[in-house]
Amino acid sequence: MVAVLLALPALIGALPASDAAAPAGELRARALASVDVPFSGYAQSAGGLSLPVGNQLTSAADLLSDRTTMRAWYRSADDWRVDVVSATGETGVHRDAAGTWTWQYEQDAAARTEELPLALPSAPDLLPRALGRRLLSEAADDELSRIGAARVAGRDALGLRVVPTDEAASVSRVDVWVDAARGVPLRVQVYGGQTDGGGPALDTSFLGLDLGTPAASVTAFTPPPGADVRFDQQQEDLLDTARRAVAVPLPATLAGLDRRVLPGAPGAVGVYGRGVTLLAVAPLPGRAAAGLRVTLNRAPESVIDGRGVRIAAGPLGLMLVDGGRGGSWLLAGTVSLDALAAAAAGLPPTRGDR
Amino acid sequence: MTGNAAVIATRGLVKRFGAVRAVDGIDLDVREGDVYGFLGANGSGKTTTVRMLLGLVLPTAGTVQLLGGPMPKAARRVLPRVGALIEGPAAYGHLSGRANLALLDAAGPGGSRRTRRARVGTVLEQVGLAGVGRRPVKAYSLGMRQRLGLAGALLRRPELLILDEPTNGLDPQGIHEIRDLLLELHRSGTTVFLSSHLLAEVEQLCSRVGVLDRGRLVLQDELARLTAPTGATVVETPDPQRVRAALDGRVLSLDGTRAVVRGADPAEVNAALVAAGVPVTGLALQRPSLEEVVLAAAGTSADRVDAGEGRARR
Amino acid sequence: MIAVELRKLFRRPRTWVTIGLLNALPVLVAVLMALTDLAPRPGEGPAFLSAVLTNGTLYPLAALAIVLPLFLPIAVSLIAGDAVAGEAQAGTLRYLLARPAGRTRLLVAKLVSVFAFVLVTVVVVAAVGYVVGRLFFEVQPVGGTALSGTSLTSADIVERTVLAIGYVAVSMLGVAAFALFFSTLTDSPLAAMLGALAVLIASSLLFTLDAASSIAPYLPTRYWLAFVDFFRDPILWRDIVRGLGLQAVYVVVLLGAAWANFTTKDVTS
Repeated sequence: MVAVLLALPALIGALPASDAAAPAGELRARALASVDVPFSGYAQSAGGLSLPVGNQLTSAADLLSDRTTMRAWYRSADDWRVDVVSATGETGVHRDAAGTWTWQYEQDAAARTEELPLALPSAPDLLPRALGRRLLSEAADDELSRIGAARVAGRDALGLRVVPTDEAASVSRVDVWVDAARGVPLRVQVYGGQTDGGGPALDTSFLGLDLGTPAASVTAFTPPPGADVRFDQQQEDLLDTARRAVAVPLPATLAGLDRRVLPGAPGAVGVYGRGVTLLAVAPLPGRAAAGLRVTLNRAPESVIDGRGVRIAAGPLGLMLVDGGRGGSWLLAGTVSLDALAAAAAGLPPTRGDR
Repeated sequence: MTGNAAVIATRGLVKRFGAVRAVDGIDLDVREGDVYGFLGANGSGKTTTVRMLLGLVLPTAGTVQLLGGPMPKAARRVLPRVGALIEGPAAYGHLSGRANLALLDAAGPGGSRRTRRARVGTVLEQVGLAGVGRRPVKAYSLGMRQRLGLAGALLRRPELLILDEPTNGLDPQGIHEIRDLLLELHRSGTTVFLSSHLLAEVEQLCSRVGVLDRGRLVLQDELARLTAPTGATVVETPDPQRVRAALDGRVLSLDGTRAVVRGADPAEVNAALVAAGVPVTGLALQRPSLEEVVLAAAGTSADRVDAGEGRARR
Repeated sequence: MIAVELRKLFRRPRTWVTIGLLNALPVLVAVLMALTDLAPRPGEGPAFLSAVLTNGTLYPLAALAIVLPLFLPIAVSLIAGDAVAGEAQAGTLRYLLARPAGRTRLLVAKLVSVFAFVLVTVVVVAAVGYVVGRLFFEVQPVGGTALSGTSLTSADIVERTVLAIGYVAVSMLGVAAFALFFSTLTDSPLAAMLGALAVLIASSLLFTLDAASSIAPYLPTRYWLAFVDFFRDPILWRDIVRGLGLQAVYVVVLLGAAWANFTTKDVTS
C-alpha cells in the first residue's frame, strides 16, 4: 500500500498528455495572444546560475541561482501581483496602472516604484507566462520547432522549441510548453553554457494554475499601518548612475548584434540583440567598478585579458571592460564569452563621472 | 480429586525462540481445587509456560485451555476470572499502592467501578498493606512490592491464581503469612497454580506437582502418591549390626545408626526387634522426600552448561 | 481504558515537567528580546520572531516556530516512545495484558492519550506564548499585518492562529506515530524515542539535499513550516493540504504497522 501511495504522483505525472497538431508558428501566436488571459497560479523556478557579483545586484543574482517559489494573480497587463514566498516571509510585487508596490514582510516595508523604462530582472519576470512570452516574442520562424506535449500543472501543454541562430548566442535552446487550450506558457526551460549534469540553466514552471479572473482586492495594495513606506532605491540608483554618466555615443552594432531602441532609457545604456540573445552595455562609475572587479578577479573561472575580466555562468555572460579615465563598461547578457570580447573591442572609451 | 473440572489443560504446548525450544510439548493438567506446584530449575521454561497460559506469549504449537476457554482467543472472557503474579511484581513508582490497584482494576473488564474502593481496601488488608497510606510505590521495600503484586492478583476474587515465585523477597514471617493466605483462599474454593523452584514451599502447600526439566514435563502427579511409603521401615538403633542378625534377609541398607528394613508395618518390625533384644531408639515408615523424587526425574540443573554440551544448547 | 491512560499520563509528574521545559525556551527568548529590543535579522531566525517586537499578539506563533524544529518533536517522541515500551520496561505491560486490557484496546488508548498530549502541549505553548507576548511586547489593538502586507483584524489573527495551532498539532501526530510504532518494536522507551528522532533528523537533512529532491515530497518534515501559510493573504492552502495528507498517510501506515506488530508479538518483558 505504501508503495502504491508513493508511486501515485509519479503515475499521474506520467499520464500521457494529449498532443495536438498545432504548427509552431500558430502556437507561438497563441502564446503571444494570451496576454489577456487572467489567471491565478503557483509557480516555481530553479536556476543554476551563480554570478559572483558581490553586494550589488544581489536580489537579481539570487533569482537566477536559487529555487524561487511564486504565487501569481493576473487580471490584466497593469493589474497583477506576484509574491515570492519564503519559509519565514514574503516579498510581493503589486502592479497597478502607474507603477508597482513592492512589499517586504520581514522588513515591514513597502516600496513604491514608478514605471521604469529599464529595470533589473525581478521575480515577476521569471513567471513562466512572462518569460515564455518574452523569449518567444522575437524568435524567427526558422528558429521555432514543435517538440510534442507534456502535462504541466495538471494541464495539457504543447511544446515549442527555440534554437537561436545568432552566432553570438550562448543559449543553446529554449523549450516552452504552452497551454493547449488558452495559450498561456506553463513551463520554460533555458539551456546553454556549462551546467551541472546537462540540465537546464533555468527551469520555471507552474505547479498549479487556475484560469479565472482573480478578485481585484487580491491584486490591490495599501501599505499596512506602521509599515515603512519609501521609494525603491536600488533601481533608482542604477538609473541615476546611468544618467550621471555622460552619454558616449554607442555603436549601432556590437559583436554582430543590432542596437535596440528603448524609449526613455538613458542614452548611456545600450541594449543589443534580439530574442533570446541580448547584450546590455552600461557605463559603471569607478567606485562601483572597483568593487565588482575585485570580486570577478577572485572568481576561479573568470577570464582576464588586456581588455578586462569576463565570466560565464550557464548561458549568462558578464564582462567588466576598462574604459579609461577611471570609468568602466559593464557588459551583461546571454552571449558567449567570445562575443563579449568582440563587443568589448567595439566600445569607445568612457568619459567617467561627470 | 481427578474427577473435578479441568482448570488448566495444555496439549502438546511448544514454544520455540529461534533454534531454542524453551517449552517442548507440555501437557499440563490442573483441576479445580488443586494447589498445583509447578517445579523446575531456573531456565527450565516455567515462566514461558506461565506466559503462554496467560496469552502473553503465543505458542509455536499446541493449545491452552484456561477455565474451559481456548487461550489467547478467549482471553477477554476467562482472564478476568484469573489472578496472576508473573515474574515479580510491577507497579507505577510515582503512584501509591492504592492508586496502582485502582488503575489496574479500571484497565480491564470484570471490575465494577462502585465496589472498586472497597475491593482495593479488602485486598490490601488481606496481604497486610492496609496501613501503608499514600506512600508512593517507589518507596516500598521488595517484600511490600511482592505483597502489592499479590493484592493485584486477588483484586477480582479469582477462581484461579497463577503465581510465579510469590514469596520472592519476603522474610520468613512474610512467607508464613502468604502461605496461610493461600491455604485460606484454597479452602474458600480458589484453585492455585504455583510456579516455583523452592521445593520446600511446594511440598508444604501443594496437593499436585508437575516437574519441568529443559522444557519437558518429566513428572505430574499427586504429591501424596509421589511421597507414598515405599514399603520399608527405617529403624534407628545404636547397634545396627544386630538388626541384620535379628531380621536376616530383610535389611535393605545399613548406614551409621540407621537401618532400612523391608516391611510396611513398623509395629511388626518393632515386635521382631524387641523380641531379639535389639535396642530401638526410633522407628518410622520410609517415605521419599520431594527432593529425591525431583532429582530422580530431572537430572542436572538446567543452568549448568557442561563442556561439549554448551554449543548444542545455545 | 482511554480514561485510565489519560489519567496515567496527566497524573505523571514527568508529563508536566516536559511541557514546562518546552515552554522555557520561548519565554527565555521573549525575555532576552524584550530586554535588548533586538529582533533577528530578516530571513533569519524562526518565523514571526522579527515581527513580535511591534506586535506581541504574534508571539504564540513565534513560540511554536521556536519549539517546532527540535523541542516539540523531542517532547512528543519522549511521551509516545514511552507509551508501550515504558510499560514493558516497568513490567506493568504484562499485568495490563493479563488483566486483560486487550492489545488493540490498549494500543488505541495509548494512541488517544498520546494525541491528547500533543494537543495539550501545542495549546499550552501557544497559551504561554500569548501571555508572554502580552507581557513583554507592544500589542496593537487593531490586529496585525499578514505576510502579504494586508491588514488583519484581531478576529482574523485569532482564527488563523487557531488554525495554525491545529496544523502544528497534526504535524506532530506524524512524529507520535513514528515513536508509537517504534515503541511497540522495542522494550526500551529511550530506543523508541531516539528512533523517532533519528527519522526526523534524517528527514530534515534529506530535505536540504538537492540529490534527494525526488523523495522530498514524502519526507515527514517536508510541510511542517506550512503553518506560516495561514498568515498569507489569501491563505496558501497548497502545502497545508499536502502536509495534512502526508501526515494522515504516515499516521495510518505507522499505526497499522504498530497494531500488526503489537497484537502478534510475544510479551516477554
